[in-house]
Parts: sequence; C-alpha cells; structure tokens
Amino acid sequence: MLHKAYRYAISYFLLFSILLLLSSAVIFADKIGFSYESVLHYYLGDKATFTSAKTYAGLLKIILPHIFAFGLFAMVVLHFMIFTKKHNTKEIAFIILLTFLSAFLELFSPFLILAGFSFFVYMKIISFFLFQGTLLYILFILFKSIIYNK
Amino acid sequence: MSSLLNGLLIFILLYLPLDLFVKSHTIGITIGAIQTTLFGNADEFLDPMNKSVFLEFVHMQIFFLMMLVLTLSAVYIRLLHHKTNTILSMNLFILFALLTPITLTATYFYSDQFTTIYLASFFAWHAIALLMTLRSLWELNLAA
Repeated sequence: MLHKAYRYAISYFLLFSILLLLSSAVIFADKIGFSYESVLHYYLGDKATFTSAKTYAGLLKIILPHIFAFGLFAMVVLHFMIFTKKHNTKEIAFIILLTFLSAFLELFSPFLILAGFSFFVYMKIISFFLFQGTLLYILFILFKSIIYNK
Repeated sequence: MSSLLNGLLIFILLYLPLDLFVKSHTIGITIGAIQTTLFGNADEFLDPMNKSVFLEFVHMQIFFLMMLVLTLSAVYIRLLHHKTNTILSMNLFILFALLTPITLTATYFYSDQFTTIYLASFFAWHAIALLMTLRSLWELNLAA
C-alpha cells in the first residue's frame, strides 16, 4: 500500500510539472515570442511599438526567484530517476548535466543580449526549448516507469 | 525526525488559512469577486486583468501548489499509510488541487461558468489539506 500511495503522489507531481512547463511556454510566447526579432525587441526595446529596453536591475528582479525555482524544480524532478531502471546510466548523467546547463543559459543569456551580444538571442531560444525538452523527456521516462514497473 | 515533520506541518497549517486570506484580497474568493477581478466591471470603472499578469499568476500558483502537494502527501503517506482511507483522501486532495489552476485558466479564456468549479475545487483542496495536516499532526504527536 505504501508503494502504491507514493506511486500516485509522484504521478500527480508529474502532471503538475507538465502544467508548469506548459504555462511557462505560454508565458514565453505571450510576453517575448519565439522569433529572433521578438526576443531582441523584448530585451533591447522597439521604437515602433514604443517599448523600452530592459535594465540589468529589471532583469535581475525577474531572474532571481527563477534561479531558486529552476534549481529546486529540476532537482525534485530529476531525483525521482532513482526509482527507475535508468538511474546510474551515462544517458541520465548527460541529461542531468544538460538540464542544469540549459537552465543556466536560459536564465543568464538575457544579460549578454543586453550587453550587445545579439547572438545570445538564439542561445535564449535554444536553451528554453532544451530545458523544456530535457524535462519532458525525464517526465516521459518517469511516467513509463510508473506505468510498467509495478 | 518528528520535530522536522512537526515543523513542516505547522508551516503548512499556517499557509492554508493565510492563502485563503491573501486570495480573498487578490483574485477573490466569491464568484462575483473573481469575475470582477478577471473581467473587470464597466459600472465601477474596473479594468479586466491583463493577460500576462493572469498567466504569471497561474504559473506561480502551479509552482506553489506542486511543492505543497508533494511535501504534504509525502508526509501523509509516511505517517498514515496503514489507514484505509489514506489513498482516497490523498487522491481527492491532489485532484482538486490540480483542477484549481486548470479551471481558473478555463474561466479566463473560455467561459465564466468555470468559476463555480474553480471555487469548489479551491475550497475543497484547502479543506482536505487542512484535514490531512491535522491528521498527520495527531498521528505524529497524540496517537497511541
């Protein structure tokens, strides 16, 4: 019974994780947009739409709670991998590294965009999708493990 | 270990009524108040809630809810796994908690009729979470 109850709790947590990832994608699409121009205009401002450029302090205010939240969320989701057959594999070690690296790049690339390195617009978009992708892959492995390993 | 769990449960016990209090002053906890916050009121010159503000609100709610769901259900299962209705109460708690952000989003984007389901699930998960916390505290400190 203990095992079954934990199975339920983890399954629900994974559903919440999907909702969280979905809502972050909707916010990104709504506030920033996924094209090169829209990301550039969001951070550097756009005269045509009368939007001003972001400041370093403004960025830090947004990023600060996300540093903690990204780390905590990634750690909680990834630690469930212990209960799967794939733990201690090179693949999972690589996925863990990729998740934290993409989270880091997603959080800090806007500072480099503001500094004038417009190449980091691509980094922002790629790291966002990479972070979402790695987490979705982990969620898929966990769901599969919960369903098939009874 | 028991002091650690007691600490967590007391903090959850503080969070639940304060969450109701904060929600009553932000989005509202009645059908009328929620609809006014989300859609505004032309008679009272109140603007509707901005889409990006709403999305950020829901996003934050999901994050806090998932952490609460995970910690409370883990403690509850650990302490009350031998009781018959543990799985039922935990399932109800999480299902209502899961319904809350979904129905609020449905209210904003599809139909204001979802407000009733949102409110029912909002109060239901708070009530069940409160019961689960009290039962866990009882089991931890007072049960023979």
